[in-house]
Amino acid sequence: MDKRRRALTRLYLDKATLIWNGNVVSGLDALNNFFDTLPSSEFQVNMLDCQPVHEQATQSQTTVLVVTSGTVKFDGNKQHYFNQNFLLTAQSTPNNTVWKIASDCFRFQDWSSG
Amino acid sequence: MFPNSHLPGGHTDQVAQRRARCSDIYQRRLSSRSEKVNPGIHSSSHQQQDGEAAMHGAHMDSSVRYTPYAISPYNRKGSFRKQDQTHVNMEREQKPPERRMEGNMPDGTLGSWFKITVPFGIKYNEKWLLNLIRNECSVPFIPVEFHYENMHASFFVENASIAYALKNVSGKIWDEDNEKISIFVNPAGIPHFAQKELKSEKVEKIKLAMNQQCDVSQEALDIQRLPFYPDMMTRDTKMASNPGKCMAASLHVHEENIPMVMSAVGMDKWKGTEPGGKCADRSPVCTTFSDNSSNINSILELFPKLLCLDGQQSPRPTLCGTEAHKTLPTCKGSFFGSEMLKNLVLQFLQQYYLIYDSGDRQGLLSAYHDEACFSLSIPFNPEDSAPSSLCKYFKDSRNIKILKDPYLKGELLRHTKRDIVDSLSALPKTQHDLSSFLVDMWCQTEWMLCFSVNGVFKEVEGQSQGSVLAFTRTFIATPGSSSSLCIVNDKLFVWDTSHQGTQSALFTLVPTAFSSVPAFSQEQQKMVQVFSVQSGMNYQLSQK
Repeated sequence: MDKRRRALTRLYLDKATLIWNGNVVSGLDALNNFFDTLPSSEFQVNMLDCQPVHEQATQSQTTVLVVTSGTVKFDGNKQHYFNQNFLLTAQSTPNNTVWKIASDCFRFQDWSSG
Repeated sequence: MFPNSHLPGGHTDQVAQRRARCSDIYQRRLSSRSEKVNPGIHSSSHQQQDGEAAMHGAHMDSSVRYTPYAISPYNRKGSFRKQDQTHVNMEREQKPPERRMEGNMPDGTLGSWFKITVPFGIKYNEKWLLNLIRNECSVPFIPVEFHYENMHASFFVENASIAYALKNVSGKIWDEDNEKISIFVNPAGIPHFAQKELKSEKVEKIKLAMNQQCDVSQEALDIQRLPFYPDMMTRDTKMASNPGKCMAASLHVHEENIPMVMSAVGMDKWKGTEPGGKCADRSPVCTTFSDNSSNINSILELFPKLLCLDGQQSPRPTLCGTEAHKTLPTCKGSFFGSEMLKNLVLQFLQQYYLIYDSGDRQGLLSAYHDEACFSLSIPFNPEDSAPSSLCKYFKDSRNIKILKDPYLKGELLRHTKRDIVDSLSALPKTQHDLSSFLVDMWCQTEWMLCFSVNGVFKEVEGQSQGSVLAFTRTFIATPGSSSSLCIVNDKLFVWDTSHQGTQSALFTLVPTAFSSVPAFSQEQQKMVQVFSVQSGMNYQLSQK
């Protein structure tokens, strides 16, 4: 996100969705455009936690819930505290497993004043 | 479309060229990080072709802020190697612009400058890239001060219509890996190589003149200084609706607004568009301008408001960066996806927190799947020395960024609903403010809903009674019985906004919500009854 923004969408599934402060961005094309429009960023992650998602919810598609929090400074804007959640899903090939973001939810903690 | 035709020889030459480019990239990376570029004689061969191409580079400050993909500083040694051209050493000292671009314009006046940037242009050989752009560009152009900056390639052009034509090339050229090449265009303050020496008091005079509606004749305005954009920029961002006025009032153009304005309005319409009012009573300044070069005229036409000092509202001068800023999208409220889901989730939350706040959380057993997971976290702030109301959550906090003990990691991830509810019951008693809730429904499939709730709650007992905390709680739930939800994952994150120094706007709701002892309304009681019958949850209503 900070240093190789253009490569970011490689981490997402084709049909991944992002909800960014209430704005819905759906699909790789839209994600590419969206990340393009965001100013340069400097993230600092202070908290990270994850849980395995129960298979009943995912129909045995191995998925992990990742929750993170910290601060971010977008160029030209004040610093914000943020929360971000991901659903990461495993894409297995015979040789290895690649984890991709199926869904992403991002919010400033002070979204209503930012 | 492909640059092949511009390269000498056949395929093997292209391969060799590509290899050369790769090593070039490494070289450029080493040298491009130096922020103070003093390239001296401009190196583009095209410049030389144009005769008086000696843009005597003054010290050009390339530490502009348009670095969306900033990389960590590299070794700053090394000269700024450019093909077979000669240049002076790249020096990093902070020199004021001393050299002038004399003789650059036929009449010595200055034009309007635009910075053209090719993202990730560091991959490309300068000559190759410029040729590629040239072939697609509808007008000829002279790239000035071509350089690599972080990962990008940039150069300047001195004409709005050329900048516009270059912007049109964006996305219409491809590299040898068949990747589209974009071109970004931004208005630039006069680059240092083009600036004449300005004394600070003259700058102040310009600012003063622009700020006040003063008699122009009394001000010693130097006409040729007027296109000094940085002092005349405002942050007016209403470009699209009023392009002429806004272009005049605000040269701080958002990058994406340039194509928007240009395509929507068209270059021709810019000239002479003065929707905000006419510069009918042209000041002597304006008149004098029209006697000068066509470049000055084009400035006048494009930015008429800058030059109207006679009773027209002058733009408030504020200093802005020379790069346009991308803006953040507007923050919006809850997202549910559909009305039905909204109702489902809101109802669930209402019921959940009714029980959660009731004093007996055992009633939540039926809300969870047998093998559900729960964990909670609080922010890790090493500067926090004072005890805060968060300390009660501390022992349960699972932050794997700092928690390395695998045993604890496992322990703090509560598994099975019995474990979860026991752990929840041990947490401080709370009163949640439902009116503060904001919900993001960020994943839904046939088999699950995933949503995050943001809001505030109050502690209702103990030492921190009365303190308000904020939370984000992420639920993953599957369809339960009787159209309710069954929680399989529950992640709670609690933080204290007071230590951040910023109060969430949500807090304004809190005093009202918590000002009186909450009495469950008849409707609420009914709802709880219905819910408990449907879900089999036991509950106890307790008045606080």
